[in-house]
Amino acid sequence: MSTTITTTASGYLLVLAIMWPVAGIMLSFVTSGRGVERLACVVLPVGFGIAVAVLIAVAQGGQSQIYVVGDWAPPLGIALRADGISAAMMLTTAIVMCATGLFAQGEFSQPSDLPEARSPVVFWVLLFAIWSGLNALVLGSDLFNLYVALELLTFAAVPLVCLKGQKETIEAALRYMLFALIGSVLYLLGAAMIYGAYGTLDIGLLSERVRPDPATLIAASLMTVGLLAKTALFPLHLWLPPAHAGAPAPGSALLSALVVKGSFFLIVRIWFDAMPGLLSFAAAQLLAALGAAAILVGGALALRQKRLKLLIAYSTIAQIGYLFFIFPLAAGLTAGIAWSGIAWTGGWLQLFSHALSKAAMFMAAGLIAEALGHDRIAELGGIGRRLPITMLAFGLSGLSLVGVPPSGGFVAKSLLLMATVMEGQWWWATVIIVGGLLAGGYIFMVLGRLLGSSATPLASLAPVSMRRELAALSLAICAVLLGFLPLRSSDFLQIGR
Amino acid sequence: MMTPMIASTLLASALAVPLAMMALALSRRGTGHTANLLPLAPLPALLAAMMVPEDTSVVLPQALLGLRITIDKPGAMLLGAASLLWSAGGIWARAQVRSQSQERPFTVWWLTTLAGSLGVFLAADMIGFYLFFTLVSLAAYGLIVHDDTPAAHRAAGLYVALALLGEAFLLMGFVLLAAGAPGSSLLISDAVAALPTSSWRDTTLLLIVLGFGLKMGLVPFHVWMPLTYSAAPIPAAAVLSGAAVKAGVIGLIRFLPFEAALPGWGEVLASVGFFSAFYGVGIGITQANPAAVLAYSSVSQMGFLAAVIGMGLAAGNRAAPLAAAFYAVHHVLVKGGLFLALGAASARLPRNAWLVMVPAAVLALGLAGLPLTGGQIAKLVAKGPLGDGLAGTLAQLSAVGTTLLVLHFLRRLSASAAQDSTEPPSSLLVGAWLTVAVASLVLPWMFLSTIGAASWNTVLSSEELWSASWPMLAGGLLAAVLWPWHTRLPRIPEGDVLAIGQRCLPSVFSLGATFERVDSYLRQWPIASMCVVLLVLLLTLTLAVP
Repeated sequence: MSTTITTTASGYLLVLAIMWPVAGIMLSFVTSGRGVERLACVVLPVGFGIAVAVLIAVAQGGQSQIYVVGDWAPPLGIALRADGISAAMMLTTAIVMCATGLFAQGEFSQPSDLPEARSPVVFWVLLFAIWSGLNALVLGSDLFNLYVALELLTFAAVPLVCLKGQKETIEAALRYMLFALIGSVLYLLGAAMIYGAYGTLDIGLLSERVRPDPATLIAASLMTVGLLAKTALFPLHLWLPPAHAGAPAPGSALLSALVVKGSFFLIVRIWFDAMPGLLSFAAAQLLAALGAAAILVGGALALRQKRLKLLIAYSTIAQIGYLFFIFPLAAGLTAGIAWSGIAWTGGWLQLFSHALSKAAMFMAAGLIAEALGHDRIAELGGIGRRLPITMLAFGLSGLSLVGVPPSGGFVAKSLLLMATVMEGQWWWATVIIVGGLLAGGYIFMVLGRLLGSSATPLASLAPVSMRRELAALSLAICAVLLGFLPLRSSDFLQIGR
Repeated sequence: MMTPMIASTLLASALAVPLAMMALALSRRGTGHTANLLPLAPLPALLAAMMVPEDTSVVLPQALLGLRITIDKPGAMLLGAASLLWSAGGIWARAQVRSQSQERPFTVWWLTTLAGSLGVFLAADMIGFYLFFTLVSLAAYGLIVHDDTPAAHRAAGLYVALALLGEAFLLMGFVLLAAGAPGSSLLISDAVAALPTSSWRDTTLLLIVLGFGLKMGLVPFHVWMPLTYSAAPIPAAAVLSGAAVKAGVIGLIRFLPFEAALPGWGEVLASVGFFSAFYGVGIGITQANPAAVLAYSSVSQMGFLAAVIGMGLAAGNRAAPLAAAFYAVHHVLVKGGLFLALGAASARLPRNAWLVMVPAAVLALGLAGLPLTGGQIAKLVAKGPLGDGLAGTLAQLSAVGTTLLVLHFLRRLSASAAQDSTEPPSSLLVGAWLTVAVASLVLPWMFLSTIGAASWNTVLSSEELWSASWPMLAGGLLAAVLWPWHTRLPRIPEGDVLAIGQRCLPSVFSLGATFERVDSYLRQWPIASMCVVLLVLLLTLTLAVP
């Protein structure tokens, strides 16, 4: 093993990826609410460019890009590291951020004759903070740094829930915060134990030293369960439906598409990078079983919701479940077993396609609610004729969730299915199939209403901006296009391992 | 002769043109007459079916998943018949939606279904096949709900639920096929060749038969057919019952390993098929709505086809796929033509009823194998895989049943013609309908030499003529005997066993309520906190298990 870690040629991009949104935050504080919107028009595209540049650097180099902060190599200093999954995650984040930014332009602004309100500045600052937190999370390679990134993410996400300041959203936000804090405490406790046992928190060094003694196992399960609470994996999902359904549409999009994925990313880091080979068969089955329960319960409950945003929130609970199949199915990745690579690609594709389609879906739901003044599913009749672009966005993203070809969701689910067959764990295949049927049920339940006859006179609908409809549609189209990626990209996701 | 370049371009355009038109209709603003595209969209496919030489292949660029489309004999026959019906149906659809505000969505749904329906005949790899199969299955939803009545929504909901179930079966089946195939080839032929020796052979076959059987409406998966065809607008019912259903037939033809004799699986499929064939007749004669009668006739006919395919599989008969495709071609045109006849009848003045009734009678009796029609040839060709044993006898008995059922249909048709007296259909519509009808009579004669199953002389021999005639006479006799009893037949609701399913629904909903209770229990603070502690313990324990 090489012990000296040095900064690679494009390493500075990694610092930029984290600091650029922070610069956006700093500048937001010195401008007005309207100024922040204009500021976002610069921060978002440049941030997107940085993500693309990192992706290209990783792809061309064929190896991780590294930046050693202050030239102090770990364990003394800390390093930032972009491997294949970080780069792909960064790009997904950037795409969702840009579309959300486009969607949110004007959402929080006020007529010029009124005094400035808090919410516009707050929203954009939170958006930048989430972005910076997520980039730090996917690039960090030190368990304590990752904790800091995780907290930044959580504390930026919580206020997003109660941006409107109504009583029930504040309640939902508090619920979210308290539960996320339990998660943080568990994670920190685990990290402290690891430090006590090994004297380092650097992931690379840990992977060489780690051994399956009781302290390590307890520490690992504390960290994992803490992160599960933040990911809202069943049965730790109590905070998710009110929080994701209560936030304003662009907020819901960020929360459902990205924030819950951050803590999942960290769980994968722990088990595949920091402690490779330590996850026992039984533990992997346990994680997947929780995922399976999430798929079934989340899907069944989504079918029973009366409000569109709650339906989508429960669908998120179900879709998160699929991610956890990566643990039993890709377990052989470090041993170089071929079909583990299939599961690995499938799991990540599920994450990316869910991020894109769920953000699109929350935006579409937001537009529908804006036009109608409510989001009661039973009274959505005919809105599809008035908002065809929104309906198309909802439909395309829904089909990706169900796993209908051609879409990212289809490729993800077929790869996971393939892995279950190869691995001989057919029981997960049944769950994937049933989950797809449940998703088909709730998506078509809504689509049927949208296409049906109108209950309310269409003339009474509030106008909806075309730009915002197109923002939702472009994300949905991205989710579909993910299904056309050449299978070569699966090698990309394994860069750096 | 065509150069390979032109041939492959024409082949690709068969699918590219409908999809491009769909995109055009989707993007076009306002209410331009997008429906004018409907009759034109299938024409490249029709040309391709007639002119492109057999076994021409096109491999699409990698950006389009590297899909491969190939035209072979069964595919070309079905493609030709289906595109002819889609074009005629398009003429009817154009007339029907023209004045409505729903024109654009209807056009988009129609073209998407069309692209899927034609695509399944050409797709040579599993991804492409699954893609087109999904298009034809799910996009039909939009055609069924078009009338926006409660019945239409109910039918479409049931349809889409079953279609998704079928998709799920097939997805798992295809994954198993791909897993059993050597190397990373996704070509259907490679995967099917490896199927008989695959370690997941039986599960794969079960999933494939379930998935395609659902699409074909084999009992007990037939419940969607009567509801759907009654609720959909007539042009949509014509193309769905004629062309779209054949996605299931081509699926069985492509995905079952006829090279290897699989008696067990073949006989199971044949039994289910024959059961459906008689079941469809039995329920069909109790139906009053002519569209529902036609739907049950489809259940019966698709059952018969499944029996042909099953017996072919049982014997390892390599000619069976072609025979099944030939029979299916006849059904495409006849069933489509009969639905259009229904449209013509509901608009004809009563005194001109014979103008509709005579062609309709020829078409309908063709299903039972009326001598000298395409139906007689179709039955004759089907005899090959069926053989002379029990299956052969059952096939002849099913022709008796079919005669009974189509006579019932003709009576319901004339009754419905007498009731309505709306504006008569334009000559263009009548022309489109009669083209399909004539094609159903003529095309089988033309294809006969192509498939080389029998010669014209065999068809016209007195022995064959008698073998085709006696079931009709028996059926006619039976109909005459049953006639006075007709009013005493039970009135079975459309979708028959669906009523039982609906009785089970409350228990399914109560399952959902249970889940809801579990969810609200788990989402209490004390319980959730307990869960955290428990999970830490459980995870540590499972980690300690080696």
